[in-house]
Amino acid sequence: MATTEIPARDVAAARKPAPSRRARTSNRHYARVGWGFSSPALVVIGAFTIFPIIFAVVLSFENVNVTAAGFSLQGATVGNYHDMVSSGLWRHALWFTTIYTVVTVAVELALGTIFALVLERLSGGRGIMMALLLIPWSLITVISAELWSYIYNPTYGILSEIWHAVTGGSAPNVLGYPLDATIALMFADVWKTTPFVAIIVLAGLVMIPTEMFEAAEVDGASGWKTFWRVTVPLLRPTLGIAVLFRVLQAFGLFDLPYVLTGGGPGTSTQSLAMLGYNTMFTNIDFGPGAAVAVSTAVIVLILCLVFLRAFKQQVGKETISA
Amino acid sequence: MRRRNRRGWRRWINGPSIGAILIALFVLAPMYWMLASSFKTPSNVGASPPQYFPIPLSTAGYRAAFNDGFGGFIMNSLIVACCSTALVLALGTFAGYALGRLPMRGKYPIMVSLLMISVFPEIAVIAPLYLIMRDMGWLNSYQALIFPYTAFNLPFAIWILRNYFLGISMSMEESARIDGAGSFRTLWSVVFPQVRPGVFTAGVFTFTACWTEFLMALSFDFGKKTIPVGIASFGAQFTVPYGAYFAASVVAVVPIAILVLVFRKAVVSGLTSGAVKG
Repeated sequence: MATTEIPARDVAAARKPAPSRRARTSNRHYARVGWGFSSPALVVIGAFTIFPIIFAVVLSFENVNVTAAGFSLQGATVGNYHDMVSSGLWRHALWFTTIYTVVTVAVELALGTIFALVLERLSGGRGIMMALLLIPWSLITVISAELWSYIYNPTYGILSEIWHAVTGGSAPNVLGYPLDATIALMFADVWKTTPFVAIIVLAGLVMIPTEMFEAAEVDGASGWKTFWRVTVPLLRPTLGIAVLFRVLQAFGLFDLPYVLTGGGPGTSTQSLAMLGYNTMFTNIDFGPGAAVAVSTAVIVLILCLVFLRAFKQQVGKETISA
Repeated sequence: MRRRNRRGWRRWINGPSIGAILIALFVLAPMYWMLASSFKTPSNVGASPPQYFPIPLSTAGYRAAFNDGFGGFIMNSLIVACCSTALVLALGTFAGYALGRLPMRGKYPIMVSLLMISVFPEIAVIAPLYLIMRDMGWLNSYQALIFPYTAFNLPFAIWILRNYFLGISMSMEESARIDGAGSFRTLWSVVFPQVRPGVFTAGVFTFTACWTEFLMALSFDFGKKTIPVGIASFGAQFTVPYGAYFAASVVAVVPIAILVLVFRKAVVSGLTSGAVKG
């Protein structure tokens, strides 16, 4: 083997016109090694993500019967999707998840950018601030949900106390009303995720060459104008990545409402993922549950493709294929 | 980076430093509330108006949490997270090397598919995995979480590691070959050490993801509860559960916070790899 080995860079060069026989053999040898090295990982990924996704699509078109002995498929149907689309629960969950995603991502992006601008101007202690920002990011969502439910508690929550001190009245039961509960969920999300956005934006911000700002200053541009005309356009790829990750993550929303509101009051804060989970494990309806799950995945996939397209056009293909 | 030279008190008290203090308060105030409440006595946890400082200090919450098997939840979380992280790093390093350095056909579609899988909503695989694992008798076992966690975290790890493999120089690898070292030896002693920062990044991300994951743990492993599932299930068993919640939360937060702070650079490079490297 050692006799035929040549470095991979030369191998890549040799793939261009008229490779020698020796290069071709070793090229094939390296390709085999490559597949050998990557196949264990690809097999695990395939078995536990791609195969289940395909199987979920199958389940969503089946009458699935689950008994103590196991499960059986009892005939193809489009009934699961028909019932889903005509169900008020699904439409409300879709609406709630969409509104939740749009509002939280917009707020987190604006607030995260402000955080990043502040930290970028900081003359010292940026390391400590970065460390601080990582704490909410690494927090278990279930824990932050319990924490906020304690803060929002109408009897002994600190929010009631602050409300009482400021307005003199007693605070409403925040989690008892659909709109209030939605805002409460969004606030908890903003608290946990804004630091993540701030870190990404800050990384993009420090990459902008100083000369850009100096030039704007020489031209006499105001701070506001510099921000919109210089900073934002140069940050756009970074902001694009942050939005992509956040939107896709927010659309799979589950942990926070499951613990903080239980989807309530009623089903007003039930996300698509929660509806899917409840259909499967509370109603033991795996066909319809799979349909809800697949509908969520399809929406995420469409969003992903739209983003990839927009992103490709913006910064060129090499950014993705690099 | 525009830094003005400030003199006198303006050096310490200025717009950005006040802004930074406000940001720190925004982040830390809820964390303080969790820590303080974990040390309140059971009756003070539910006091109205709430207690701002936990006086007298009490460890009742911690005792309640551990009496309810919180130690077992920690063990379950540690086993699942450590096994998954080890598997991800073992499989991911070789795959990252192959996809970064070796001439394979179809690398581009593989990398794009991996990117898509890494952002796929977990809910999509819950139904099939639950039904299959139930048939195989895998429910409530460690492997019911270890394999899905490995599969879901591998794509990101492969991307990170591949980027590092692309960035290192070939010359050392070449000279090791000329010196007569075999393929595996070259990889192990020359190539892999150079991507150590990437391995740390992938490792910290995988461990954190496994430590915090909730939906699969809730669906597949109710018999072997991990920390998030364990904490979420406290409510049914305690009259005033918040003391135990927060004690358990503090215990769960400390190791991951230390891990993340120690590997701060690795985490930040991982978070921003999308933004900076594409």
